Amino acid sequence: MESKGEYLSRREPAQEQTAPARREMIRTENLVKVFPGGNRAVDGLTFSVYEGEIFGFLGPNGAGKSTTIMILTTLLAATEGRAFVSGYNVSRDREQVRLHLGYVSQVLAVDDALSGEENLWLQAGFYNLSRQERKKRVDEVLELVGLQQRRKDLVETYSGGMRKRLDIAAGLIHRPRVLFLDEPTLGLDIQTRREIWSYIRRLREEAGMTILLTTHYMEEADQICERIGIIDHGRLMVVDTPANLKKSLGGDLIFFDFAAATGEEQRERALQRLREQPFIQKISPRGSEAHGFVAVTADGEADLPRFFAALAEINVKVSRVTLKVPSLDDVFLAFTGSELREEHGDKEKHMQERFTMRRLRT
Amino acid sequence: MKATGIPLLRGAYYVFWREMKRLFRQRTRIFMAVFQPVIWLVLMGNMMAGLTDNPYAAQMLGVDNYLIFMTPGVMAMSSLFGGVFSGISIIWDRRLGFLQKMLTAPIPRFSIPLGKIWAIMLQIFLQMLIIMAIAYLLGVRFATGLGGVIAMLLYSGLLGSAMGGISLAVATVIKTPETLFAVVNFLTMPLIFSSNAMFPLAAMPLWLQLIARYNPVSYAVLPMRSLAAVGWIWPDLLTGFFMLLLLNIVILLVAYRRFERGLVL
Repeated sequence: MESKGEYLSRREPAQEQTAPARREMIRTENLVKVFPGGNRAVDGLTFSVYEGEIFGFLGPNGAGKSTTIMILTTLLAATEGRAFVSGYNVSRDREQVRLHLGYVSQVLAVDDALSGEENLWLQAGFYNLSRQERKKRVDEVLELVGLQQRRKDLVETYSGGMRKRLDIAAGLIHRPRVLFLDEPTLGLDIQTRREIWSYIRRLREEAGMTILLTTHYMEEADQICERIGIIDHGRLMVVDTPANLKKSLGGDLIFFDFAAATGEEQRERALQRLREQPFIQKISPRGSEAHGFVAVTADGEADLPRFFAALAEINVKVSRVTLKVPSLDDVFLAFTGSELREEHGDKEKHMQERFTMRRLRT
Repeated sequence: MKATGIPLLRGAYYVFWREMKRLFRQRTRIFMAVFQPVIWLVLMGNMMAGLTDNPYAAQMLGVDNYLIFMTPGVMAMSSLFGGVFSGISIIWDRRLGFLQKMLTAPIPRFSIPLGKIWAIMLQIFLQMLIIMAIAYLLGVRFATGLGGVIAMLLYSGLLGSAMGGISLAVATVIKTPETLFAVVNFLTMPLIFSSNAMFPLAAMPLWLQLIARYNPVSYAVLPMRSLAAVGWIWPDLLTGFFMLLLLNIVILLVAYRRFERGLVL
């Protein structure tokens, strides 16, 4: 995959580093899902998530994240390939898989006509817990997500964030070994998102749960995931820690614009001069802006003064300079390209999304 | 903990429990379920009451009180409507993501329609008791007494369960309420009008009589009408019972297959 219109070239990602003793809680082997009509939503996906890890699936809309989760949670059958959750084959040992996994979908899968407590009570029933055990666990998860006070109220009176927390609580009632969170903070305000992140971290720390989450918020992946897999067109582009991914881009970026009055010849001379500098790895024009360029350097902070020094030798005017350390956004763009995507989803899917949004915003 | 799946009936019970909670929270729904048949009975009963003044009509109806003729018809219709819209709940559960949630839980998939059918049946039982009570207040006296009342509940329940099963099975492949309504209306209107629910068989042209005779609604109405107006007519009762039972088995098998294999998300 070539990144389109991006200035950074990718190095080969570092080999996946994992402690050898950790148990694989999720494994897929060459997973393929072709929908009727020929859309290859998942196209040869192979990855592993280890015990106690928070693994993030990052990708643009329609990249195949949710489809993969639906296969792993036994909601969809894979067209080809195999997948294992907690050691059980998702297509053969479905019941075992279902007993061991918790699933919190993108939509708010809570029943508005029931109270918070009743929603959890019901969920606990689906896992056949004894009466006593159910009472205990309902208290436990309500405490964890901070809904003790509102437990008796009907969910229709909850705010969007509270509903999401209840939804997550329901996914935890049977203490799953592996938790799937599909876009856990979609549509939530930043404060609520941070709150949800802290719950997710606590789950890992206190319960040793393995968590696979999908997101298209870079910040979210950066904040809570130990490892990130960037997925696009149903294929895994790269898997690594957020820090390594950022490093893999090969350097910092200096964005600069020549002054509008700069002549072409003068500009070429300046660019030539910059290219001669050993600390500059690459210079490329910035898309449509005739005067805008970007230079890649190994260490932006040290190289910026040298950059100015080089330009000072030629009489050229620069109107703007910005130093940018690669963020996960840049990594994301480098691996998935920046073009806008048409969503494949059917009418009903959009309906569902709109519906979810409306419920979140109450 | 030994990891085993949840037994079918247990899973169905929790689905049923949820439906019951929902039902009793929705006062409008309960009100409508009670009120609608009352309208039918009072309006239709009074409107058509004159029919029995005509000896020829009275002979076709087989009763001398139109309400006795109409009550089993209204009961069958209410059961049919009670069951036939149950697929909507699958569509909403799918939209809310609740269906997906139940599917990732270790309950057998068939416990979802089964629990919902139980809920429909209980709802129908309650509704039927109310209809029969109102009929009683309007002067209807059932020929078979309390035993007949229980038997009529059974027939209503079987009809409602069959209709509920069809609706739930259809909802496994239909994603919008509008489409389901269209399918359901396509089904229910002919079912009602080609049955003996509102008009006596004797008043129908021959070809319609033939259809009406094999119409599942008629298999519920005929025994109920016997119980209400005549007495324990065993051939009618048994035929109706076994035909409805057979219908239920077939429909539940279809629903089973649809939920275990063909459920569209």
